[in-house]
Amino acid sequence: MIRFVFSRLLQSLVALAILSVVVFILARATGDPLHLILPMSATQEEYAEARRYLGLDRPYVEQYLSFVGKAVRGDFGMSLRARRPVGELLRERLPNSVSLAVFAMGVSLAIAFPLGVMAAVKKGTGLDRAAQVIAVLGQSLPTFWVAIVLVEFIAGRLQWLPAGGNESFASYILPGFTLGWFVVAGMMRLLRSAMLEVLDSEYVKLARVKGVVESQVIWVHALKNALVPVVTFAGIYFAILVTTAIVVETVFAWPGLGRLAYEGISSRDFPVIQAVVLTTAAIVAVVNLGVDCLYAVIDPRIRYAR
Amino acid sequence: MKRLSRRVAASLSGLILAAAFLAGSAGAQAKPDLTIALSSFSTETLDPALGGHLVKYYLSMMFDYLVGTTLDGQPSRDGGIATRWESSPDYKRWTFYLRKGVKFHNGDEATSEDVKFSIMRNIGPRSTTGYAGPLRTLIQTIETPAPDRVVIVTKDPTLIIPTYLSRSLSTEGMVLPKKYIEQVGDDVFARKPVGSGPYKFVEQVTGSHIKLAAVDNHWRIGTPKYKSMIFKLVPEETTRLALLRRGEVDITEVSRERVKELEKESFPVHFRREESILTMWWILGPDGWVAPMKDKRVREAMNLAIDRAEVAQAVFAGKADPAAIPLGLSWSFKEIGLKVTPETYYPYDPARAKKLLADAGVGSGFPLEVYAYQLPGLPEGKAMAEAVSGYWEKIGIKTKLVPVDYPAFRKNWVDRKTPGSVGYFNIANRDWIGTYALLEKQAYTPAKANDTVNDPEVDGMIAQVMRQTDKEKINALMRNIYTRIRSEHSGMPLVYLHSAYAAGKKLGKWNPSSVMYDLFLDELASGK
Repeated sequence: MIRFVFSRLLQSLVALAILSVVVFILARATGDPLHLILPMSATQEEYAEARRYLGLDRPYVEQYLSFVGKAVRGDFGMSLRARRPVGELLRERLPNSVSLAVFAMGVSLAIAFPLGVMAAVKKGTGLDRAAQVIAVLGQSLPTFWVAIVLVEFIAGRLQWLPAGGNESFASYILPGFTLGWFVVAGMMRLLRSAMLEVLDSEYVKLARVKGVVESQVIWVHALKNALVPVVTFAGIYFAILVTTAIVVETVFAWPGLGRLAYEGISSRDFPVIQAVVLTTAAIVAVVNLGVDCLYAVIDPRIRYAR
Repeated sequence: MKRLSRRVAASLSGLILAAAFLAGSAGAQAKPDLTIALSSFSTETLDPALGGHLVKYYLSMMFDYLVGTTLDGQPSRDGGIATRWESSPDYKRWTFYLRKGVKFHNGDEATSEDVKFSIMRNIGPRSTTGYAGPLRTLIQTIETPAPDRVVIVTKDPTLIIPTYLSRSLSTEGMVLPKKYIEQVGDDVFARKPVGSGPYKFVEQVTGSHIKLAAVDNHWRIGTPKYKSMIFKLVPEETTRLALLRRGEVDITEVSRERVKELEKESFPVHFRREESILTMWWILGPDGWVAPMKDKRVREAMNLAIDRAEVAQAVFAGKADPAAIPLGLSWSFKEIGLKVTPETYYPYDPARAKKLLADAGVGSGFPLEVYAYQLPGLPEGKAMAEAVSGYWEKIGIKTKLVPVDYPAFRKNWVDRKTPGSVGYFNIANRDWIGTYALLEKQAYTPAKANDTVNDPEVDGMIAQVMRQTDKEKINALMRNIYTRIRSEHSGMPLVYLHSAYAAGKKLGKWNPSSVMYDLFLDELASGK
């Protein structure tokens, strides 16, 4: 098991190292941040002075080595736009993204579990078909459209829920639902098919023959064994929810990592872009590693196979 | 099984209803704040030296300016720390007399040393503000003969000092606490700023909001009516409007196309009329104009091909008016005595435009790249570029829309990499000195790479304005500059944009003013 974890860790570190080079190059390919920072009247001398002050006049290799050297110590440099340490910005934004992802995951679990299980149990009925429709809509409706519609009607017209910000518990509901619905769809379908397989197994039939109460058969005996693929799915999706909520965070004015990435990209703020990409990559790597370990714990066949 | 399904359904509905109830009761609470939702905070900085224009919306409530301004953007003796000012006969020494008893939020008194320190810092090499460059070039030294007196000595005679250091332009005139900044350093100041304005800094959550708290009995507005002022960053308009409908924000910017909808719902919508001029220009080559735009007739033809009234109506929902003069900042026209007559406006005349192109030898048209991008305050940017390209297509010009973001266009513009192609900007309106500053940025060949006019005659007149101290002669020069730019068709004025701000139904009387990048919330928050 230790060897397995070590090997996965090593793979993640190599991936992060490669990514650091890629993001360093691509961030600079987007253009010159000074065209946004300096006023229209800036002279060539003022451009040169700002470039020197911000350390952008140094050779790329030197800039990269300096960036990596500091990044491994958790120092991502200074934001070119906000002129604040990028680490500080990350510390402000990351918890907001994580808390929203936790809420969205909670919403999706709360909806996907009962619906997925019931769709399997009631296969071919109206409930099953309704669940399928929910799944298809969740995966096919664009997130930005769902978000705008919810803001316009639920928050703006009906005034049931806050439209934006993250000041209260209630403000989690609309962005959490928007993010969660997409996950509901996948999770519910996965759970349904896993449940169908398990419900058809011999031990479930035996439990029924022995007179175990039906709800116990479904929610305890069957569900437990149908969970393995769902755990993997949920883990990976949690990482995705934390790191890719740009649209939802923008529509709901949620000060998270996605918005920080968007602001960084639109203002050519290299240190912010680099830090956000590396942080999100690290989150995905850590969650994947965690899921792999969990998977190996749940299913010993995987552990032994490696 | 049926019972189980019902239970699941009931639990889900219960969860949603409970959440809605909780949210509803939270939203129903009354609040003593003034909340303003904006689509952008620009750099989000709290340090005036790192700001520029857009940050004025919130910084002007935290800091006092050396020179105040009236609602229509004129220097005021009542709104700034200087109660009066005078120049030496040669206009090279400007003496400012300071208000006594003005306190920073940390209790220190604002003195001439603070003013000197602030100006030097705001125009220093770290500064990214709009007018730091010209002020740096102009100011020789600053003297502090007494705690309530500051003398700014310039290298050349000038009239611009009071306006450049006033609230009507950028942030260079904001007064900062010298002792505090020297004690805590620039970085701490940028995170925990201390000013002397009617509101003091409470917290900033980047990407979310900036919260300010009222100070007691401020010299500018007394004890403010609102205990706190919150500036919320809400990029999406639908969300801003939903917040307004829910009463969570009191003021929000609103796009021109959604004004009618809000007015139908009885929300007061305030306009800053002619807040900016939307003007287009050709990128110059390293040596100036390139063919075919080098030919004045081509420039005139491209102007005549545009139906500005239709653009104002169709693209800007009628919340814009045709503009007549390239770079023509109309808030200055009255001061400089410039009269815009009906003849000054370009008529929509595609037939004549075609003839002019034929006379210029490009009757069969020519390829033209038109950059298309959006800007703060101009969500219609791409639609406008598309519409104008359509007019040019009609007279035979083969346009190609190039979708970019503004920094990419700006790089091409200042590097002069794609001469002859067309870009645009919604330039904020301002008084005559601000207008002069714009002309010096965009119409003066010797100074900058971002010149768009390339006319030695205009260059000569701009240079004369710099040295001139007789206001009447300055006015005449400014009028002549505009007359020349218009007659040479050195740009394409499109429309004046009226910017809309929707307010909550319970908000009191408010005039959003004619001050650049400033909503002038003083009047609204005033406790006097």
